[in-house]
Amino acid sequence: MILASAVVSGLSLGAMYGLIALGFHVTYVVSNTVNFSQGSSVMLGAVLGYTLGVRYGLPMPVAFLLALVGCALFGILIERILVRPFVQRGSNAWLMATVAGGIVLDNVVLFTFGKEPRSFPSDLATRPIDIGGVGVFPLQIIIPIVGIGIAVALWFVTRHTRQGKALLAVVQNSDAAKLMGIDVNRMIVATYALSTAMAGLAGLLIAPLYNVHSEMGMLFGIKAFAVAILGGITSAPGVMAAGFIYGIGEALVTALFGSTYTQIVMFAIVIAALAAMPNGLFGRAPVKKV
Amino acid sequence: MAKLDPATAIAIFLLTAGGLALAILSDGYTPFILAMVALTTITGVGLNVLLGLTGQVSFGHVGFYSIGAYAVGVLTLKGVAFPIAIVFAGGLAGLVGALFALPALRVTGPYLAMMTIAFGFLVEHGTIEWRSVTGGHNGLMGIPQPALTSSINGERAMALIAVVVAAISLLLFDILNRGTWGRSMIAVRDSETAASGIGLKPVVVKTAAFAISAAFTGVAGGCYAALFAFISPSNFGFLQSILFLLAVVVGGAGFTLGPVVGAIITVLLPELISGLAEYRVLFFGLLLLIVLWIAPDGIIGGLKQRFARARPRPIGNREIDISAFLGTGEPASRAGGLEVSGLSISFGGIKAATNVALSAKPGLVTALIGPNGAGKTTVLNMISGFYKPSSGSIRLGGEELAGAPASTVTRAGIARTYQTTQLFGSLSVLDNILLGLRKGHLGNPFGQLAGQNNVTVAEGLLTLVGYRGDLDLPASALPHVDRRLVEIARAVATRPRVLLLDEPAAGLSAAEKEHLKSVLRVLADAGLAVMLVEHDMALVMGLCDHIVVLDAGRPIAEGVPQVIRSDARVRAAYLGSGTVKPPPRGEPFPEGGEIVLAARGVKASYGAVPVLHGIDLEVRQGELVALLGSNGAGKSTTMRAVSGLLRPIGGVIQLGGRDVANDAPHRIATAGLALVPEGRQVFPELTVRDNLELGAYSRGSADIVAEINGLLSRFPRLRERLEQRAGLLSGGEAQMLAVARGLMSKPRILLLDEPSLGLAPAVVEELYQVLAELRNSGVTLLLVDQMAALALSIADRGYVLASGRIVHTGNATELAGDPALDAAYLGRTNSTS
Repeated sequence: MILASAVVSGLSLGAMYGLIALGFHVTYVVSNTVNFSQGSSVMLGAVLGYTLGVRYGLPMPVAFLLALVGCALFGILIERILVRPFVQRGSNAWLMATVAGGIVLDNVVLFTFGKEPRSFPSDLATRPIDIGGVGVFPLQIIIPIVGIGIAVALWFVTRHTRQGKALLAVVQNSDAAKLMGIDVNRMIVATYALSTAMAGLAGLLIAPLYNVHSEMGMLFGIKAFAVAILGGITSAPGVMAAGFIYGIGEALVTALFGSTYTQIVMFAIVIAALAAMPNGLFGRAPVKKV
Repeated sequence: MAKLDPATAIAIFLLTAGGLALAILSDGYTPFILAMVALTTITGVGLNVLLGLTGQVSFGHVGFYSIGAYAVGVLTLKGVAFPIAIVFAGGLAGLVGALFALPALRVTGPYLAMMTIAFGFLVEHGTIEWRSVTGGHNGLMGIPQPALTSSINGERAMALIAVVVAAISLLLFDILNRGTWGRSMIAVRDSETAASGIGLKPVVVKTAAFAISAAFTGVAGGCYAALFAFISPSNFGFLQSILFLLAVVVGGAGFTLGPVVGAIITVLLPELISGLAEYRVLFFGLLLLIVLWIAPDGIIGGLKQRFARARPRPIGNREIDISAFLGTGEPASRAGGLEVSGLSISFGGIKAATNVALSAKPGLVTALIGPNGAGKTTVLNMISGFYKPSSGSIRLGGEELAGAPASTVTRAGIARTYQTTQLFGSLSVLDNILLGLRKGHLGNPFGQLAGQNNVTVAEGLLTLVGYRGDLDLPASALPHVDRRLVEIARAVATRPRVLLLDEPAAGLSAAEKEHLKSVLRVLADAGLAVMLVEHDMALVMGLCDHIVVLDAGRPIAEGVPQVIRSDARVRAAYLGSGTVKPPPRGEPFPEGGEIVLAARGVKASYGAVPVLHGIDLEVRQGELVALLGSNGAGKSTTMRAVSGLLRPIGGVIQLGGRDVANDAPHRIATAGLALVPEGRQVFPELTVRDNLELGAYSRGSADIVAEINGLLSRFPRLRERLEQRAGLLSGGEAQMLAVARGLMSKPRILLLDEPSLGLAPAVVEELYQVLAELRNSGVTLLLVDQMAALALSIADRGYVLASGRIVHTGNATELAGDPALDAAYLGRTNSTS
């Protein structure tokens, strides 16, 4: 019984990790860069949703949509000022710049939104429903469905739309994509917007289960990055699978050994897994050039 | 021990004296702040070894800080004296660092970042859970503070201790940085390939850097425990790692004084500006961003750039007895050179080299030549230990080296240079050579790079290759020819018996090539076995004693230059046999049509390497123009420049009368230029249909389905494969797809770069059939093909390129019989062109 409820909560956690990690994946495959402030985007989604929907009382769907647009704009900003200038110089300082960007956003939110954690009321996370003797919030079922839904939608869009195929072309051979008339820089901006929007969506979805505050995203972001790396950041299905593996693993460790050991065990597993498989569980080794 | 830089030593001395005086004279809060500045400096020195020297970023250094702090806390609470505890703290952190580095350094970039983040969290939660030792969340209280005298104790004593330790750390960093190990760390950062090519073991160097870095940080953490007398896991969070990094980046990574400047700013500034305390973290985030944007080398780096003037250090003109240096005087070492036999390798099922056999004898210059894609560099990479051959033998004087790593191969006596020079760009010319002289033997961690003797030897080697520039110039600032020369000197510095050179003449002028020839001849005469891969046939024919010809990964001929030049198989491999008979043009191409594409004085370079020296060409509506020339003449570079993939550094490129030289490639493509790139470059994971649809991307949404159907009548083989992934196509099918994809954009001009490369003769015939039909139906084409006879069989007109210049032009039939064309491909022994 404990295990069953662990799996349920692991599934929804894992879907969230997978969704945020997909954000790392999309920017990495098109531009070889990642946004280390993904965790802050998770927080931004939740904070914007709370502010617009709860504080200003906008209808929830509108609040959600505006929050996602806000996150996407944040992603565009990140790419333009924290990533592109450094990539153009041939420097990898985008790594530290995006970390700094996250710190700045967290603190700006801290001083504007407030230090007190707020609870995000939701009918979907108040009364558990009974499924085979396990109490489950409806939201815990919705989250994995949305997570998988987004992943499938992403897969569908990239395979069946003109812009989606152009995106895959950039991933597979960016020079050849340029020769087709594809604006690679615009594609990179688009993936940054997509990646922060997905993180923001994750933030909106988990907000009712956790409290909303300025630091809520950091650990999420780090764990999601671990998931992306563990899955092999170049493989979208690998990243999503690693999300579920990590989420369920975390819930199981918590259920069996207590929450105190969760982080130790999970981060030790990440280090061990990377030591054994330097390209992640589902990634491929790049060809070495001399 | 390596020598200190006087200016740096004085600065450290003044800072230390000031710090000590302040610690003794000041009261209240000041000694504590001073101690924090010193601790941040020590940690910064540790991170500087990692970030500044090896270029690795660690987001988990707070873990080592925490290990040091807990080590001192636990030990001193048990009654161990502080000095012993602090040494233990540094040692423990260093050991953990080394153990962690072994798996962590197998990965790079974001993977390494993740490893270090995970490490920091692991330590943080480990200290929370290991309650019996660490006190869990409550931490350790009442950690004893060492007293220096009865009156100097508490924070004041710790401030004095920390300032002294910080001063020692800074001095040690300066010594390390100038010594063999520090230079090796920079070498590994600048080029891991070249580092193993001079006998270094990158894993060892990087692990040492990580361990040294962790040890400094552990010592700082130990001092922190004694300073605060209380530690708990909440002191050592993720954010603290970022703040440490910030201090180094702000001060200037890689500079001895960077960490101390960074520490002063990051510790003092928030204290000085009252009211900022609350916004401390926000301030740090913004500060880091501002520094990254406007002063990527930090404050010290910025100041150096602005004020420091390098004193010139001209090279002394030294004669060197090269055969004595190489130890090739004795006849014993002259016997037996490099013997390679049965060497094979394949990549992903494709055989890149099959049964290659060759030898390089002492005293001789041997050339390995062959058309593009023949596998020459692959063979070189196997011999020098970068690729593991799947079978075969590589012997040097009886020692079997096949499959040995590059550092072992170098130590055994095989040195090499690289197709694109791989000098250690941030090291000086002199240091590049001195590091080569070490041949991977590094000595003690704080040892000197070289004494005066070795400097003299290095100057001798540089004189020998003809380097006349400054010894202290960073290698990245060298002009191209000097890079080639210094790289040769660095390879020779390892005292090899065999010297391998990968396209040493690429990008050199005629006079520079003559100089290169004489240098290589001197080295060979001194008893070295010299072997080069080279495209410049005039140089090869004029210099080499023995030539081995590869084609498609197999040796097809070998012998002296005269034999090779007249060998029919070699001629066919280079120029093509011309046996394909595509359909002729109905009537000759009329003069004076509209000019579709024109290049005027186009210049281009790869980094510092000039490749095109002013290309003029034009293609008229409906014309098929061939661009000919040997490998490395600049044909593909011209295609890349015209299509925008490589931005030209000079000249005009007109497409339909409009200058597009500064346009991005996707704009040029949209304006009507389609390039079918070398190596086909289809999108392997997409279907054939999707590839074709992407070809029409620039035209927006037209009736693609109908157009694809129409186009497929010309490419019947693609029709059957329409729903297959393009990666599964054969070479010929992939080339057809690449051409069809190019046509989908309905271009004003279609450019083809080496379409016949790597295709079987029957497939080439089919391809040229298609190209001839396209020509006859009015498509404007610019064709690059190494098979000159083939390209001319369908072309109306041709240009011949050599060394980045158009040397000849004419109509196709005239060119086909012109001896100038032969010369461009196979060289002339007495040529001066």
